[in-house]
Amino acid sequence: MVSLLRNQKVRNALLQVLYVGSIAAMVLAGIVIARRNLADQGITSGFDFLFKSTGWDVNFSLLPATANDPYWWYFLIGIINTLFLGSVGLILATIVGTIVGLARTSSNDLARLLGRTYVDIFRNIPLILQVFFWYAIITHLPTPRSAHEAWGFLLTSRGLYIPFPNVGSAAFAAATVAVIAAIVLPAWLGRTSLLAQPIGQRRTIQFAAAAAALACATIILALGRLPDTPLLDFPALQGLNLRGGLRIPPEFATLAIAIAIYGGSYIAEIVRGGFKSVGTGQVEAALSLGLSPWRVFTLVRLPLALRAMLPILANQYVWLMKATTMGIAVGFTDFFMIVALTINHSGQTLEAIGILMAGFLAINLSLAAVFNRINKAIALKGNQLRG
Amino acid sequence: MISTNSTGEPALRIENLDKYYGTFQALRGINLSVQRGEKIVVCGPSGSGKSTMIRCINRLEQHNGGRIAVLGTELNDDVGNIDEIRREVGMVFQHFNLFPHMTVLENCMISPMIVRKQPRAQAEATARHYLEKVRIPEQAMKYPSQLSGGQQQRVAIARALCMQPQIMLFDEPTSALDPEMVSEVLDVMVTLASEGMTMICVTHEMGFARRVADRVLFMDGGEILEEAPPDEFFTSSRNERTRQFVSQVLGH
Ligand SMILES: Nc1ncnc2c1ncn2[C@@H]1O[C@H](COP(=O)(O)OP(=O)(O)OP(=O)(O)O)[C@@H](O)[C@H]1O
Ligand SMILES: [Mg+2]
Repeated sequence: MVSLLRNQKVRNALLQVLYVGSIAAMVLAGIVIARRNLADQGITSGFDFLFKSTGWDVNFSLLPATANDPYWWYFLIGIINTLFLGSVGLILATIVGTIVGLARTSSNDLARLLGRTYVDIFRNIPLILQVFFWYAIITHLPTPRSAHEAWGFLLTSRGLYIPFPNVGSAAFAAATVAVIAAIVLPAWLGRTSLLAQPIGQRRTIQFAAAAAALACATIILALGRLPDTPLLDFPALQGLNLRGGLRIPPEFATLAIAIAIYGGSYIAEIVRGGFKSVGTGQVEAALSLGLSPWRVFTLVRLPLALRAMLPILANQYVWLMKATTMGIAVGFTDFFMIVALTINHSGQTLEAIGILMAGFLAINLSLAAVFNRINKAIALKGNQLRG
Repeated sequence: MISTNSTGEPALRIENLDKYYGTFQALRGINLSVQRGEKIVVCGPSGSGKSTMIRCINRLEQHNGGRIAVLGTELNDDVGNIDEIRREVGMVFQHFNLFPHMTVLENCMISPMIVRKQPRAQAEATARHYLEKVRIPEQAMKYPSQLSGGQQQRVAIARALCMQPQIMLFDEPTSALDPEMVSEVLDVMVTLASEGMTMICVTHEMGFARRVADRVLFMDGGEILEEAPPDEFFTSSRNERTRQFVSQVLGH
């Protein structure tokens, strides 16, 4: 028995059991106590409330929503809103971060200074303040009646109005998928070794794939077009209101801008670090082989920098995804706000918070899993570094 | 293998070369002329400007005064000239500088395919030919980090040769290697020399210098202090600094 306790594996297993056991005991005790307290207040615990209708409205939804819909439908709406806002925010933040990060590594003094100033400012102001700042600016834009128009876009205090194709929502969703495929397919086709096929041939294949996907998108839009309407619907003033086009509500615009600007400042630092980690030796070797600076960038600096950046970028994305919970500050019905409203209206605090945690866990774990796959696929092969 | 140009233009001509890093002068009035097929060994104490000099030859460093002409092409701000010179001048570095995300074969094929616009099959054949030549054909599909230092450096030599350059620059190619790997790299360099390649090697391998060098240059303080055939350089140098240096590297 004593000798068994000396065995390292046995010890580790025992510690593990103790650890998990004590946590389970604490959680169990918590649940029991909470149930008793809730029962005293006359609230029944359980998930039956999910099937009751909510009786309140959401101000932003990609799915049809009425106050008669049940809670589970609202949770779904919340998750989709969070994912939508998160994706838009992450994409914009990545674009901003890449531009600023490249500026910070450029040889141009002014570009470096601007990049540095940007990072210093936006990284050091708390996100919540930036959210309020952008919200104040957007809600103080001119009213629809005095809005300025530029290229069919209208900036007003009631939201940003943009031209939008006159198509049904299913057709629009399908077209969106096709456009995404036009971006992803070429990259996926190019994932194989650079020299697996002749470069020219690979280009042709990638180009053909992108063209085919875009053609699909066009056809879908043409077929799904609402009868007797122009292909593009431009927003225009009608009486006191704006009609037509797509309205991006101020709350959504605020959050997307705030996440893009704030997240961009963090991503800029990751981009800069990634490029700094690329050895000057590899760059010099590439130059000495006669490769042009652009080729050196696409063939050597970028692929190596990406490998250094991705793991940190994945963390940043998970983190920014959680930043969508700022929705509650300006009244955007993201997942977190839906949960908060649910708690207010139904009193099912524990259940709602459980669903919130499970939802975010699922979102972020999937995000992390995707990044892990990408990381594995492109990791530098071989690690018995010698010499 | 190396076409001798009838114009009689030397492979490399350097005149009054100056190089500054800020206010620090790293090269002072360097003059050097290298004929086609000539092998030059450059030695000198650390910080004497050896690397700076050979890095000026393919514009990894930009010189501030004097002239450099490579294979008759003047090295100036003309990007076309720089590209032309880099195509014809191969370089091997102290720390190999292989591309870690590409296989050995890809390392060797990338530049011929993109810069020389060679078809894939031809680039692969050339790459395999030179990998054979540096005696590691079996490593073609491995990644650099799976090779020993000596093997990596031989890949780096093959990679440079795949561009079929007319001049090869070596910057201390063996000084980052474990002692037992030095000779495998030097052997490759000796073979290359015997085939008539124009070579400029910064190295402290004096055995190599004796065997292949036509001339040995001694640099100190950014200047070429002495320039002599190896026999003369090692035995009867007139310069006190040179004699002191030679006795140090030969371990007397
Ligand atoms: N990028 C740089 N910026 C500033 N000074 C530099 C730079 N590169 C080299 N120097 C300086 O120029 C001088 C010559 O450097 P160089 O690298 O050419 O010497 P070296 O002869 O190759 O020395 P080693 O044997 O140590 O490689 C040194 O004093 C060095 O400190
Ligand atoms: Mg050096």
